Amino acid sequence: MIARLLRQLAFVLVLALAPALVSGAWQLAWKKEEPLAPGEVRLATAREWGDKVQWVDARSRAKYERTHLPGALLLNEDEWDTLVKPFIDEWDSDKTLVVYCDGGTCDASHAVAARIRKELSIPDVYVLKGGFAEWEGK
Amino acid sequence: MHFRLFVCLVALLLPTVPGRAQLKWDNPAQQFQRTPADEGIEAFYTFRNVGKLPVTITGLRASCGCTTPHLEKKTYAPGETGTVTARFVFGDRKGPQHKTIEVSTDEEGAPPVVLDLRVLIHDPLSIEPTLVYWKRGEPGEAKTMQLTAEAGQPVRIKNVISSNPRLPAKLVTVKAGESYVVSVKPADTAQKEVGEIFVLTDFPADAPRTYILQARVK
Repeated sequence: MIARLLRQLAFVLVLALAPALVSGAWQLAWKKEEPLAPGEVRLATAREWGDKVQWVDARSRAKYERTHLPGALLLNEDEWDTLVKPFIDEWDSDKTLVVYCDGGTCDASHAVAARIRKELSIPDVYVLKGGFAEWEGK
Repeated sequence: MHFRLFVCLVALLLPTVPGRAQLKWDNPAQQFQRTPADEGIEAFYTFRNVGKLPVTITGLRASCGCTTPHLEKKTYAPGETGTVTARFVFGDRKGPQHKTIEVSTDEEGAPPVVLDLRVLIHDPLSIEPTLVYWKRGEPGEAKTMQLTAEAGQPVRIKNVISSNPRLPAKLVTVKAGESYVVSVKPADTAQKEVGEIFVLTDFPADAPRTYILQARVK
């Protein structure tokens, strides 16, 4: 009787193990680094570039004024016409531009990077994967 | 015995099966065409709770700070309808825009719904690029900017004026009202130069617009 009960228990545990393994594998895959989209760069790579990087903050003026990456220039689409002239004045053509926004689902960095490439004809532009949240280590 | 085993198995697997969404959206993807003068747009996304339980909307997350989603209330009884209003402020955006709003609910296992907002913001005159530049010491060859009026909406360029005589600009008419080229040729590239090119148009007739382009020797 006990042996039978143990067999049944073992059977249920084996059955429970299958979805647990699937779920575990899923979680591990989810935690793996997302692949880079075209034009994106990881924070570690941008850090390796050191002084050659010019950070570009594509967030709102309020967020930029609260805090931003060291030496970052503000350029967003809300105030593009106003900000583009000082941005061009400050921009060093020998540096690589890396644009960031909040991170997560924000799309402002991609939009600003695209306009820099298209409207300003500056080709050396990347988007920071993970955005400001990545910098903050969130 | 087998029945008990089956019940155990179902009980174990049940939490991994995604639930069926109870909110049915009438038009979750919307498209509009506007001009920069419109300054913004409001899109309305209506839904109905087609399930048998109340649904609470736990979160609205827009892909851009320029888009503000709004909901009258959070909880909707079975059969009840509601509307998510998304206000998109254009700022200085131009061309095709794609914004999303992620709607999360308290429905167990249901993934967030992504509402889609696409707006084409027409500018009567498109200019590419809006900046020409040279590095110091680089050959000072002429660089050009293309000005193209939208089809069916002629825009005439009356004049171009450079703020810096060392970065003179020349207007070339390719097809009057439709296509122009602004050419900038620096006097030399020995030193840093800053110039703004003012493009004077005849559009709109009541308040003709001036576009400002940039030229630099860096």
